[in-house]
Amino acid sequence: MKKSLDLRGLTCPEPVLRTKKLIDDPALSCIEILVDSEVNVQNLTRLANSQKLTVVSAPEDLHYKVVLQRATTEDHPGGHLHETVETGQKQASTNVSNNSSTNTSTGSGTIILISRNSFGQADNQKNEGDSDKAKRDYDFSSNLLNLFLQTLLQSGHEPRAILMVNSGVKLMDPEGPYIKVLNELKEKGIEVLACGLCLDYYDLKGKVAVEQITNMFAICEYLFSADRVISP
Amino acid sequence: MTTNPEKPIGANQLTNNVKAGGCSAKISAFELKQILAGLPKTKHANLLSGIDNFEDAAVYKLSDELAIIESVDFFPPVVDDPYLFGQIAANNALSDIYAMGGKPLIAQAIFAFPTCDYPLAIAAEILRGGADQVAKAGALLTGGHSIQSSETIYGLAVTGLINPKDILTNSGARPNDRIIMTKAIGTGVSLLALKAGLLSKAEQAHLFSALTTLNDRALEAARTVDIHACTDVTGFGLVGHIHEMAKASKLAARMLISALRFFPSAQEFAKQGLVPASAYGNRKSFEASVSYIKDLPLEVSDLLYDPQTAGGLLLAVDENDSANLIKTMGEAGIEATDIGGFIEGIPGHIDVLIS
Repeated sequence: MKKSLDLRGLTCPEPVLRTKKLIDDPALSCIEILVDSEVNVQNLTRLANSQKLTVVSAPEDLHYKVVLQRATTEDHPGGHLHETVETGQKQASTNVSNNSSTNTSTGSGTIILISRNSFGQADNQKNEGDSDKAKRDYDFSSNLLNLFLQTLLQSGHEPRAILMVNSGVKLMDPEGPYIKVLNELKEKGIEVLACGLCLDYYDLKGKVAVEQITNMFAICEYLFSADRVISP
Repeated sequence: MTTNPEKPIGANQLTNNVKAGGCSAKISAFELKQILAGLPKTKHANLLSGIDNFEDAAVYKLSDELAIIESVDFFPPVVDDPYLFGQIAANNALSDIYAMGGKPLIAQAIFAFPTCDYPLAIAAEILRGGADQVAKAGALLTGGHSIQSSETIYGLAVTGLINPKDILTNSGARPNDRIIMTKAIGTGVSLLALKAGLLSKAEQAHLFSALTTLNDRALEAARTVDIHACTDVTGFGLVGHIHEMAKASKLAARMLISALRFFPSAQEFAKQGLVPASAYGNRKSFEASVSYIKDLPLEVSDLLYDPQTAGGLLLAVDENDSANLIKTMGEAGIEATDIGGFIEGIPGHIDVLIS
């Protein structure tokens, strides 16, 4: 059974309260609500999550529409999986270890640590800038890193996160050759993070989105709780 | 004669026409930064504390032994009982003086009231609550100003006194100092729950007690050790105020979730979506400065940004003084906790640890 609520013009905590009263009725499977602020959308989302309802919201004209749905095992495709994971502890742990990308905490999974803007080092690279050969070696090594990231993208392997430190943060340059593949990796749900201190050192801090800046503290945690760390 | 908090005067509810109450009413730090940007900077040899470093009050030196502290605070009703509202608003205003290390001396009331919508007796009760709270602080209520308005607002402009050498600011914290918090957090969420009628009698009593307890005894107990920095936890939430203290002291901070004290049921209320609008504003203003060691449950992080009304003091003290200070506070009836510390690092940055 579906119900519509127009809660526009109501101030906190009325929208949450009135919705809560309706949710308590088990006969209702779907509630469509209109609210007039983003804050109300956020609060209704929290309410829905606490009551195990699915929530979808979107702006509409001058207000927002929030749709809450009660998930039932018959019409919810994920319902069967949900029951399996809950009842079978052994099965549940098998599911989790086989599919590390569902793990949403900072723990476990594979971490890729990039600590320089090249993959390995060619013969003359340490004298970069000194000669033609050194420059070619340097370019080769950086292109190799780009190739590694492109291959990673297409391989189907999904690390938990890609962490960049020291000159590795140069990969985050929005005008550089790596940013495209890094964004594509990010779109797959892989965390792509660069050390703030290093970004500062290489004058890149202003050019990187805040949510992609991390610190040594979090980097340590990622490394220590990872199943495996790969460092090209 | 004290009004019974369960039976407000008349059938009218003070909080009915309020969009946002208490320190939820503050303009967000993010917006405030923009509107203050164009103001001229006030500098004067005798102005020991001004708008810089987000200080709680202004301090002006009169002589080598005497300085005056000036602060102002007001907001719309957070509770329906007018007397209680007066007490809470006054408490919030007086707290800024204690946060600077001083003693309140005189106060003036700021009052706006919709005389057409509520009986005058309600206005009288608000003023009486405020007056009683000022008297409790040993200060004098010397006057005020009132206007008719569509929304009720009450607060105080407060003047305090201090010896310049005793001034406490946001900016004196040192590396490895501990952070001591003197009251629980979660008043924003709890006041929404109160409005929703979800607080038990015991939870109400606990909340009202916290909201009307002055920070005078906490300051007095804190003076038994060397205080490096001090502020009170109010509208910007715990994270916001720790951030300000860290940034002003040019240090980073670490906060321990397991050491925090929340109001009973606050996490449950936050989980159900009883989160005040300015908690979201605080999140927007400060979350760029915060890193989490591990994903926190949403309701816990909501409480870190929850705007506090009449919050406790936040003190930076030497790590060797922390245990003694907490013991001294305990003896004075104050439940203080060591919630983390200051470290060298990116100024203003906060690392949130679980324990």
